[in-house]
Amino acid sequence: MSDGVLEYTRKNAIRRRRIARLIIFGFTVAVLVSAHGTGFRIRDLYRGIPNIIQFLTEDLLPPRFSVWRRFLGPTLETIAMSYAGTFLSVVFAAPLGFLAARNVSPYPIVMQIARATAVFMRTIPPIVWALLLVSIVGIGPFAGTIALGLSGAGMLIKSYADSIEDIDAGQIEAVRATGAGTFAVMMKGVVPQFSPSFVSWSLYRFDLNIRSAAVVGLVGAGGLGFSLSTAVRLFRYQEAAVAILWILGLILAIEFVTAKLRGHLI
Amino acid sequence: MSDLKIVAQDLYGRSPIRRLVPLWWALGLTALFVVSILGMNLNIARIIEGGERLRVMLGQMFPPNFGILGRIIGPAIETLYVAILGTFLGVVFSIVIGVLAAHNITPHVTVEIALKGFSAFTRAVPALIWALLFIVAVGLGPLPGILALAVNSIGMLGKVFAESIEEIDKGQIEAVAATGATPLQIISKAIIPSVTPALVSWSLFRLDINIRYSAVLGVVGAGGIGLELVRSTRMLAFDETLTITLLIFVMVWAVEYVNNQIRAFIR
Repeated sequence: MSDGVLEYTRKNAIRRRRIARLIIFGFTVAVLVSAHGTGFRIRDLYRGIPNIIQFLTEDLLPPRFSVWRRFLGPTLETIAMSYAGTFLSVVFAAPLGFLAARNVSPYPIVMQIARATAVFMRTIPPIVWALLLVSIVGIGPFAGTIALGLSGAGMLIKSYADSIEDIDAGQIEAVRATGAGTFAVMMKGVVPQFSPSFVSWSLYRFDLNIRSAAVVGLVGAGGLGFSLSTAVRLFRYQEAAVAILWILGLILAIEFVTAKLRGHLI
Repeated sequence: MSDLKIVAQDLYGRSPIRRLVPLWWALGLTALFVVSILGMNLNIARIIEGGERLRVMLGQMFPPNFGILGRIIGPAIETLYVAILGTFLGVVFSIVIGVLAAHNITPHVTVEIALKGFSAFTRAVPALIWALLFIVAVGLGPLPGILALAVNSIGMLGKVFAESIEEIDKGQIEAVAATGATPLQIISKAIIPSVTPALVSWSLFRLDINIRYSAVLGVVGAGGIGLELVRSTRMLAFDETLTITLLIFVMVWAVEYVNNQIRAFIR
């Protein structure tokens, strides 16, 4: 009998090794085909380096810091877009998160629909949403806000639902055993266990939105991204360098603030 | 007086003001939302106009124009190529950076600080901004996209590779070193086997991220499917926009699916 077990383990190991080799082979082929298809050569790397250095030292540097004040308004706009976008996605995703969680969703079909909606909203990149929304509501931060709201909601529905699925079922049963109705079970059994992950996912989304907000501006959706793409289009690279430094500073500052806030709230 | 106090407290002895803390948060955050939206000079006329345009756009979107699939399949494949190459280069450079920057095996602490600072910088600047810069530096075509994704990947992978090397059990390195192994042998026999699973799953995760970026690189002028997307919205050919959006969705979803299968296999 133990022979059979050994035989099984051995065969399994061989099978696993075979699959691993197949995966490695697949990736090697994929890389080679990609290099061929894009005409990429290793020498492009070191031939490109002088161009990059020349661009850095002659065009981009030194940043023209005297224009820093011009980016103050767009910075506020970027923060407003990220915050409003996060707010929209939280408000939208909180109820859908409950509907998408296996353990508390009223009907399996509702759960499937909520999950599918979430997959669609988050798989489309935010900048694609922004592109579509700029055609609808026109150039400006409002398009960016809705775009961030949509792709954020997609991510949050999934994260909320996953965290709700992870909570302790015993507590729900205990509340239910007191004769509590569905709503009371939600409020007293589910919500208290879910709220730390709710806060931390929502803050994380705000963090991500700052990054995306700086980028969706490139298609005209307002904020620092818009200032940056304008500067690049006008070949004012030294001003673009200032915009990039602003974006970098903003991202790092918000990351610091949300980390502090998370530590404080949870 | 003490009676009054008892009435005002709940079972846990919290005053009404303390009990309503979540409500104060909700009110404050909503007020902040209203202020943010008001700052975007919106008005009712613009919203109504937007609704009208949305209606027209949806009308034009359906049915999606699948006739253009033959034309956009080339850019779609290029997008895949760019994502794969960008990830590959990112992984290769990140392994070198990870080895040199990991605290337990770094040649010198200044090297560690310099490389960790470098990856923090490349991580913090978004991928599309790298693309914007590389287009100016090396010209159009797939190359700026590949470089942008590689550089942005180094920021993330360099950090996590260094961290996973730092988490290695010290005993394993010592055991191999005790056999008289050279530094290169220590790396290949003690470090590589214990970091491989983490390395593979982070690289796959990064490929997931890179395919999303690669699909939108065209927005800043680098090629691929993103360029077709921008072109279709500029020409107001929304039936084509929908087809391209669906294709992007399928591509991103397919890469995610294959990755999940491989990750499940590794675990």
